[in-house]
Amino acid sequence: MEFLINFIISWLPIFAIYGILSISLNLEIGYTGMANFGKVAFYAIGAYLSAALTMSVMLSLVGKSVPLYSIEAVQALSTPGTGAIYTHPAAYVGLFVLSLVLAFIVAGVVGYFITYPTLRVGPAFLGITVLAFGEMFRVFMRNYEPLGSTKGLFGLNNPFIWIGNPQLSQGLFALVSLALLLAIYIYAERFVNSPLGRTLRAIKDDEVAALCLGKHVPRVKATVFFIASGMAGVAGVLWTFYQGSVQPDTFVPILTFYVWAMVILGGMGNNLGALLGAAVFTLVDRVLTFAAGMMGPSLIIPPNYLRWMIVGIVIVLVLLFRPEGIRPAKPIKTPAWEAVKEVSEGG
Amino acid sequence: MALDTKAIGLLILGLIIGAAIGYGATAFTGGGGATTPSGGTETAGPQEQQTVTYKIGFTLPLSGQLSSIGKLWEKVAYMAVDDLNKMMASYHLPYRFEAVVLDDGTTEEKALQNVQTFAQQGIKVVIGPAASSQVKAVKSFADSNHIVIISPSSTAPTLAIPNDYIFRNTGSDALQAKALAALVNHEGIKKVVVFYRDDEYGTAFADFFKKEFEALGGQAILLSYASNLADFASEVASLSSKVQSEGAEAVVLISFDTDGANILSHAKDDPVLSKVRWFSGEGIHGASELLQPSLAEWLDSINFLGTRPVFISNPLYEEFKKKFENLTGTDPPVFSEKLYDAVFLAGWAIVRAGTYDGEAIKNALPEVAKHYYGASGWCILDKNGDRAFQDYSIWTIKQVGGEYKYVDIGTYSGGTLTFTESP
Amino acid sequence: MVGVSEVLNTVQMGLAYMVIALPLTLSYRVTQVINFVHIIFITLGAYTVALLGLIGLTNVWIALGIAFLLGGALAVLDNVAVFEPLWRRGSDVLIIMVASLGLWIFYKYLIYAVLDKLFIILRTNTLSVLVRTEGFPSVTLGAVTIDGYLIDTVVTSVVVTLALYLILMKTRIGKAIRAIADNQTLAEISGIPRGRVLNFMWFLAGGTAAVGGVLWALFQTTVTPEIGDQIILQVFSIAVIGGLYSLTKTALGAFIVSGTENIVIAVLHDTFGLPLSFRPFLVFSVLLIVILVWPPLGAGGGLPYRFRIRPRARR
Repeated sequence: MEFLINFIISWLPIFAIYGILSISLNLEIGYTGMANFGKVAFYAIGAYLSAALTMSVMLSLVGKSVPLYSIEAVQALSTPGTGAIYTHPAAYVGLFVLSLVLAFIVAGVVGYFITYPTLRVGPAFLGITVLAFGEMFRVFMRNYEPLGSTKGLFGLNNPFIWIGNPQLSQGLFALVSLALLLAIYIYAERFVNSPLGRTLRAIKDDEVAALCLGKHVPRVKATVFFIASGMAGVAGVLWTFYQGSVQPDTFVPILTFYVWAMVILGGMGNNLGALLGAAVFTLVDRVLTFAAGMMGPSLIIPPNYLRWMIVGIVIVLVLLFRPEGIRPAKPIKTPAWEAVKEVSEGG
Repeated sequence: MALDTKAIGLLILGLIIGAAIGYGATAFTGGGGATTPSGGTETAGPQEQQTVTYKIGFTLPLSGQLSSIGKLWEKVAYMAVDDLNKMMASYHLPYRFEAVVLDDGTTEEKALQNVQTFAQQGIKVVIGPAASSQVKAVKSFADSNHIVIISPSSTAPTLAIPNDYIFRNTGSDALQAKALAALVNHEGIKKVVVFYRDDEYGTAFADFFKKEFEALGGQAILLSYASNLADFASEVASLSSKVQSEGAEAVVLISFDTDGANILSHAKDDPVLSKVRWFSGEGIHGASELLQPSLAEWLDSINFLGTRPVFISNPLYEEFKKKFENLTGTDPPVFSEKLYDAVFLAGWAIVRAGTYDGEAIKNALPEVAKHYYGASGWCILDKNGDRAFQDYSIWTIKQVGGEYKYVDIGTYSGGTLTFTESP
Repeated sequence: MVGVSEVLNTVQMGLAYMVIALPLTLSYRVTQVINFVHIIFITLGAYTVALLGLIGLTNVWIALGIAFLLGGALAVLDNVAVFEPLWRRGSDVLIIMVASLGLWIFYKYLIYAVLDKLFIILRTNTLSVLVRTEGFPSVTLGAVTIDGYLIDTVVTSVVVTLALYLILMKTRIGKAIRAIADNQTLAEISGIPRGRVLNFMWFLAGGTAAVGGVLWALFQTTVTPEIGDQIILQVFSIAVIGGLYSLTKTALGAFIVSGTENIVIAVLHDTFGLPLSFRPFLVFSVLLIVILVWPPLGAGGGLPYRFRIRPRARR
């Protein structure tokens, strides 16, 4: 059973990260109809912000002023037992929480302002605008020396590492990630079933009609983008603390499209579907990796390639047999609907 | 609500199926890396009673940016484990090893996922990942879960950290930069443009080279290119105008195989760059593209020289090279002898530790390395867990028996440059 | 300073980009699907010429022909097996996009697996191949040498573009393609056999993209299985500059992007010392500037939409 526990505690944070990303993308595409191809940009902002914030504050706590990417910084932070992340547990956990809040705000604000250009280019080109922004951010980070350029930043670990027992600290982190995912899921559910949420569907179904009904479409879209981008920022923070390092080339555009696959596989336009999509996608990937290690080199198709081919085929087959995704969208919950249902069921 | 529960049920079902597959798989192999004696693995000899099989994990870039090297490394890995097992049998030792190779796609996320997967399978020793950025991504997991990581190719100076679970069977490029600077200086060149990858490998190498070359009285101008692009024609054009405007006599290329081959094939057609001298580090050595007549002819004509870390006149290396060529038909790529030895180090460290436990292996590894001389030479490690000593050879591309080949024509050892053949 | 090589590179790169991006715009315009398999067409084309060179078949025209057939066949296969069934069920274009993502992953690793086998058979590293092929010889004009591959590229791209233009503008089937692109329902009411026309369109698009892959391989000269992945963002940017609609603007976009990647970066590097590694950054800046200053659908994004998501198809 040991390995099963390890499997789950290493998978849960990944599930949480991609679950949050899927829910946030689903808010944009599934509910509002904004095709965002640059989700990864906000994810990267969250990751970089949390790493830079945590590392610099922790370093100043132990009185070091060295570049964040230097060996001295890494040693001062992460030497087992004596590093800052072991000796200042309260500050470390506090910074994790603060990173979550700040990442939500910063990524959200950037997201809010990014919708402005799209007023001009129109909804059809929103996706590529954000994608271009994300790539520009990544290339910039590759060249930005204070935050490590291509060296990246490393020397962090999960926020509970000071406990000592790796399994326990990773398990705690897994639970915290899961709790965050649940919180975001519940928030998203409430959001889409609110009056504003119904406006979103109106915009998705017919933007012109929504405009004519007096809805301030650009502002509603910007609000959704704020929330969704903030969520991606939160996912980025989780990633930093999960991996313990941030590398610029992690945040390539294809990552966004994997999140797209999760949303579409799960079923657009419902949060549970997004969650399911993320769970299935990450789980299939991990289980296949596990299995590939077991298969050995003698297969006709090398198992490492076969594993990816299976992922691709699974995506195609799921869509061919369930084009609406694993869990199709449902009508929104409104008091009116409930009343109608009650009457119809009661009568 | 009914649908919600159904969905949650589906999720749980998925979990269970996943777990069952995983559990079945581990149960099949005996629940961990160190399997209990089994009939299937008894291949050693008649007097051998029971053998224990340990697994060694490999996370290699079988796809993605470094796949052209990674694919060859995979072959080296299987070859090394095979040879290690033969060696164990010849010593009548009851230990056998099995390679578990996973592809990390040259990405950080997959490298970490692979190391986690190895940990779940009970594997305590992992060889790879290739790039320094990937090593950084797996470091915190490896340190806290006591997984020994031996990277055959990470040279980043920022990873020279004592007392961690990261070992690197390759040293800093500081010394190689010195060798290369001495070589360029020996060829009577005073002004060069260093054209390098903008990743940590290239940046560090270029900085070291600049320092060393300027200490010898030369002048080095640094010019970097983005390492993750497909084509470097526009960078080569900029390089060309830089070389012309600065009046540099040579270019020092710090690259890997595919990017280096691309740069050289563009430079071949450039009126400026095709006339100057070219020098290079080890990254491009072994790339089959350079041996194609169209490119090789030019490289030969400008007397292309490079340095690479290899212990001089090491028969073990020659044996390794010949064996690899017989197996695959290609030259062993860069760092492959380091990978080969890393497997042996891992194997002997497990034997020395006496138990398949990360911490014990970590403590045993430096001791094993101290006494190990393999295809890559003397493997002794410094206090940071990186290779401590290294000699360098001078290589070029020459026609041997009507075919272009990589040839070592000189050495750099203890600060002196010696040519065994005229360049 | 901007020299001759920058200009020659711009031309060769721009032409290759154009031949790759034109079919992307064409297929998007007709189906509104962002097709990830486009990456595979490029890789397939590039590997066709690389592998033929490896086994000693060094005629570039044969390689171009084979690449066209392979790319076209692959595109038709995808359409028949995946896109068309999905479309018939009334799937959203975004769902078809994700299906193409799945196909891309599948094909990409299939290519890796095939190359792995070829490695063992050919006994040479097939994951990184130097292109060896022959077309026109190089020409020297005074101090400037024009590479043979550049001449091949010019000839091929002119022929391909001209052929595309003639097919789309002058033939019956071309008119049918354009009719479907403009209004699917109306086209079907007028009796256009949608399925057959779309298959033809995909054959054309896949084949042309594979030809573009060959041209790109002639430019890059080193071919790896990642070749398509590495340039797809640029190609996509070009198609967006073309508004994912106009073939003329797409062709223009190809030269804007290749000019940025060769000349603009060189100028900025020389004058402001901008690191060369900012090249992709510049491409996306240019893309953003272009689509902000000249929005492809006009300011406001062409509301009411010309590009509205296709209404659910009936069974």
